[in-house]
Amino acid sequence: MSLFARNALIALGLTVLLVGTVVYTVNYFDQQRISELNTMQTRLSTDTLSLETQFALLENAPCKNISENTTLSKELSDLGDRLSFTENRLGSKDPQVIELKKSYALLEIRDYLLTKKLETNCKVKPVVVLYFYSNAGNCEDCDRAGYALSYLRQTYPHLRVYSFDYNIDLGALKTLISVEKVKPKLPAFIIQGDLHYGFTSLTDLEKAFPKNALATSTATSTIKIH
Amino acid sequence: MAWSPNLIVYPFLLAAIYYEFFLLVTFLSKPARDSRKRGTPTTYPHVAIIVPCWNEENTIESTTKSLLALKYPSKKLSIVLVNDGSTDNTKKILARFARHPQIKIINKEKNGGKYTALNAGISSSPEAEFIGCLDADSLVAPDALREIVSCFEKPEVMATTAAMSVHKPHTLLQHMQYAEYIFGITTRHILSSVNGIYVTPGPFSIYRSKVFRELGNFRHGYQTEDLEMALRIQYAGYKIENSLRARVYTKAPSTLRPLLKQRVRWTSGFLRNILYDYRGLIANPRYNALGLFILPFALFSMFSGISLFSLSIFEFAKSTIHSVSVAQGVPLTYALSLHSFSWFYLPFTVMFFLGGATLLITLVFIVMGKRLSNTPGNLTVSAIAYSILYGFVAPLWLIRSVADVASGARRSWR
Repeated sequence: MSLFARNALIALGLTVLLVGTVVYTVNYFDQQRISELNTMQTRLSTDTLSLETQFALLENAPCKNISENTTLSKELSDLGDRLSFTENRLGSKDPQVIELKKSYALLEIRDYLLTKKLETNCKVKPVVVLYFYSNAGNCEDCDRAGYALSYLRQTYPHLRVYSFDYNIDLGALKTLISVEKVKPKLPAFIIQGDLHYGFTSLTDLEKAFPKNALATSTATSTIKIH
Repeated sequence: MAWSPNLIVYPFLLAAIYYEFFLLVTFLSKPARDSRKRGTPTTYPHVAIIVPCWNEENTIESTTKSLLALKYPSKKLSIVLVNDGSTDNTKKILARFARHPQIKIINKEKNGGKYTALNAGISSSPEAEFIGCLDADSLVAPDALREIVSCFEKPEVMATTAAMSVHKPHTLLQHMQYAEYIFGITTRHILSSVNGIYVTPGPFSIYRSKVFRELGNFRHGYQTEDLEMALRIQYAGYKIENSLRARVYTKAPSTLRPLLKQRVRWTSGFLRNILYDYRGLIANPRYNALGLFILPFALFSMFSGISLFSLSIFEFAKSTIHSVSVAQGVPLTYALSLHSFSWFYLPFTVMFFLGGATLLITLVFIVMGKRLSNTPGNLTVSAIAYSILYGFVAPLWLIRSVADVASGARRSWR
């Protein structure tokens, strides 16, 4: 065998070895991400369950746990960002991503219900937005709407945004969609109980909020307490 | 399978890595190792160095002085300065060396092109066993000729190239070229061990004079007479060697316009020579590594450079339009605000690692080239300039060269 042929074969072997190592490494990091998301979800699930149990045990809602609930919502939001990043990496059809999104949607619904309980029992008035989007290519304005909501969430920390992929096959989400009567005209928003469809601009979205709901003076507090 | 830019990028990236691994393995092979151990020559044959000059008033004096400083028996070294119809003070400056016993001056009244100047020099040196060429904007290290002569031990070696680098780089583009030239030192050293060199550059390539008698003198070669001669030598089944430590320093274009002009001349010359006159080399098993791998890869890398550049521009424009559309109405401060660091968001993708590996191996080759050739200079700025700029600048001359060849356009030398 000539030197050239021998070297060409060795180089091919090394290329295959490098590509194999890279694919393994990337897959390892992806699994680490999935694992971290699972850990976060498990922790959040336990914390949410703990708060729900406290509500069930005490007739008078444990209003001193408001801050605990706020922290949970923040972590939930962080989990959402990471899940969105992972979905972009692995694709929305990845079975692990679909499962994580289902668990995440369930956690969001439970946190939303807890927030509603706090609102009723502890006389707090958080500003809540339910946002329904689709990644199936049938929602032209969903990227813009999502970005605008992220901006509002960062600018007004008392704002609680719960984002739901309309197409997720999850009983609880379907029930929420049915209860709130959300039609598949996406993006859709439920802002303080009022249903809105479509997104034109950040200014128009801000107008959909009740007066003073986005007051900057409350930006440092986590929940508006009446 | 859904469309993704990766479908285009991955094959090119894999080909680049495969090529780099081939170079790495060949670098470690015995022939390359042996060539690094070459010592000084046992005999000193007669050498004539031809310096073609066309309006070289600024550099010809220092070029000639560097030749006179070569550590080589003076009786065995003659220097032929050919004034190819210069319209500046070149003729006057050459006249200062007229009485030097080693120097012969030829004044051509009319500019006929570099290859005619080289041929005039060859014709005037019938006694020389070896003929060298040196561009008038280049300087040689004192031991360069001795290093090169020792590469002609085997009778089938018809030419030897030197270790070229950029003389005192100042601008960022010159630094980029400095790293590129050093990378070239390593690749030429490696390719010579599988007889894969397909250009004998103007700065200090030395030929066995027999090759001109057998294969003929220099030709126009689509303004790349050095490349044409190298391909002719390969086509005839001879060998081209490389001397890793024969240092020669050349002046590199300092701005984009002359750089593009130079590179378009080189690249379109390569394409025209290969596609019109030396197509028989491509995919021909008779030419082993050169025909089956190196020349096809050179053509493929041009195609890949243009494709990747076009794709990057397209994807960048698409993503910018999308980002601007998504961020419309949202204050810019939000988009620019720093988010807290987490390993989670690091871009650990196949593209990231493979691209990183390609760049890393390239940088290793650059460092190796500098060390093995003992080329002076600081690599840090040059390596950074090369890593950042080359991917954007090189496609410009590739695109223009391909367009010129496709349209049949011809450009002037300078």
